[in-house]
Amino acid sequence: MITNKAYMAFGLLLAGLVVLGLAGDRFLLYISMRIMILAIFALGFDILFGRTGLLSFGHGAFYAGGAYGVALCYMHLAKDPLLCLLAGVLLATGLALVIGFFCVRHTEIYFAMLTLAFGMMVFSLIWNLREITGGDDGLVGVGRQAINLGLFKIPLRKESEFYFLVLAFFTGAIWVAHRIRTSPFGLILAGIRENDRRTEFAGVNIRNYRLAAFVISGAMAGLAGGLGVLLESNATPHISHWSHSSDPVLVGLIGGLNTLAGPLVGSLVFVGLKELVMRFTTYWMLFFGVVLLIILLGFRGGVVGTLVQRLAGRREVRS
Amino acid sequence: MSSPLLQVKGLTKAFGKVVTAREIDLDFEAGVLTSIIGPNGAGKSTFINMMSGSLSADAGAITFDGHDVTRLPIHARVGMGLCRSFQVVNVFPGLTVFENVEIPTLVNRRRAARFFSPRAKETQVRDQALEVLNLVGLGHRTEVKASELSHGDQRLLEVAIAMAARPKLLFLDEPTAGMNPVERVDILKHIRRISNQGSTTFVIVEHDMDIVFSLSDRVVVLHRGDVICDGPPSVVQCDEQVRECYLGQEVM
Repeated sequence: MITNKAYMAFGLLLAGLVVLGLAGDRFLLYISMRIMILAIFALGFDILFGRTGLLSFGHGAFYAGGAYGVALCYMHLAKDPLLCLLAGVLLATGLALVIGFFCVRHTEIYFAMLTLAFGMMVFSLIWNLREITGGDDGLVGVGRQAINLGLFKIPLRKESEFYFLVLAFFTGAIWVAHRIRTSPFGLILAGIRENDRRTEFAGVNIRNYRLAAFVISGAMAGLAGGLGVLLESNATPHISHWSHSSDPVLVGLIGGLNTLAGPLVGSLVFVGLKELVMRFTTYWMLFFGVVLLIILLGFRGGVVGTLVQRLAGRREVRS
Repeated sequence: MSSPLLQVKGLTKAFGKVVTAREIDLDFEAGVLTSIIGPNGAGKSTFINMMSGSLSADAGAITFDGHDVTRLPIHARVGMGLCRSFQVVNVFPGLTVFENVEIPTLVNRRRAARFFSPRAKETQVRDQALEVLNLVGLGHRTEVKASELSHGDQRLLEVAIAMAARPKLLFLDEPTAGMNPVERVDILKHIRRISNQGSTTFVIVEHDMDIVFSLSDRVVVLHRGDVICDGPPSVVQCDEQVRECYLGQEVM
């Protein structure tokens, strides 16, 4: 019954986004795409943080892996956007596999610090390997060629065209996250969060499962980064900085951990709030911080978590 | 004659100068319900930890079901059917009772790595998990969060999680600690029955003497890292050395 309602809500959301794509102006489309891209980032991150209970401060590295993968593929290999995205996701996945291999040997604060250290290593590599990454200038001029399907081409140049590619990947990311959450693998991850020792005594090689969650979240971060560079047409080193790694953490805390809707609501609030506050003041960080504090203190368990609790409470009173 | 299910040879472990296992040789035959007793500090916990893989032995070999498991990690031993329960409540507090048992069942049926198909489709896993829950008497509370169960029920759940892995040999670390007398009798009845079915062999580590002598086919007494007595309850009960160091005069 509840799942039927949830399916309906997501159906409505997608229908609304399609209407927005057909009718919205350029600015609205741009903001919506940023929200969806951040949501893809946060959906993957929640599998690691909300589901498995591992807090990473280094996922900017995988976002950057996707972004630079797309930019480098565009400049040196092929200009087809889907091929570029594939290259970006593969680079991010490979990076996550290597970094994750070392990080999942530890948990809690040690895990967080390791991811932070690896993330900053990637940042300094991008900053210093000028010949490949363009250093602090980044890589600029990544265009959006049409997707060539042989018989016909799908143009992506205009915002209103690219929007639907982002929407397609956004829908796909929600679907993948949903499948993982309801799968046996998803339950094992929850078991690791609740009691990793006991999960081990259930016969699970917890290191492998942690690594799998890490790599899945890294791949989704890479997809988000790849779409981001196609949207902005450039990749800059700051996307691999730890301050960018904290975005999906905040999104998760705002929206709600270990829920499907949490990353979506969190991304909407995060991007919307930032845009709104930046219009009124140059000290936007200060105000943004205050609003974040109110949300984090007032909505324990995030916006979605709080709403679910309220609804559950009301249902109990009624019955 | 077949070789024993679990064979321990020359097992030694010391923490600094404190020797908690001194060249222990023990065989566990399939189907024989064994209890391990001993005063505090006798090395019972160290022994169970070495068997399950939490601690590595300084010396000696452990052979389980014909394979050398001395250096195998925990999850590999569980996969072979060597499992344990815990003395303190050790469940998944935030998950439902059913999900608690579903986790080891998924692993047991080799379904745990499926990441793209819904759990709801795993009907065999569901039936097997419900069977275990019914066995310990929690079949009617499947959708309750584990953290909301009473202490006694959490202990039952603990045993159910261990059983769900379908172990060939199951170490129960004080299975009745914190249970009320009714629950205690219940769980012991269950253990005896499952033991008689023959698919799982139990080794119980206990303090409670009534349990040990009424339930076991065989009793092993540990004292400061040594096996000081090993035999049927009637023999152990009368052993001089055991009486001296552990049971005291009031038992007899």
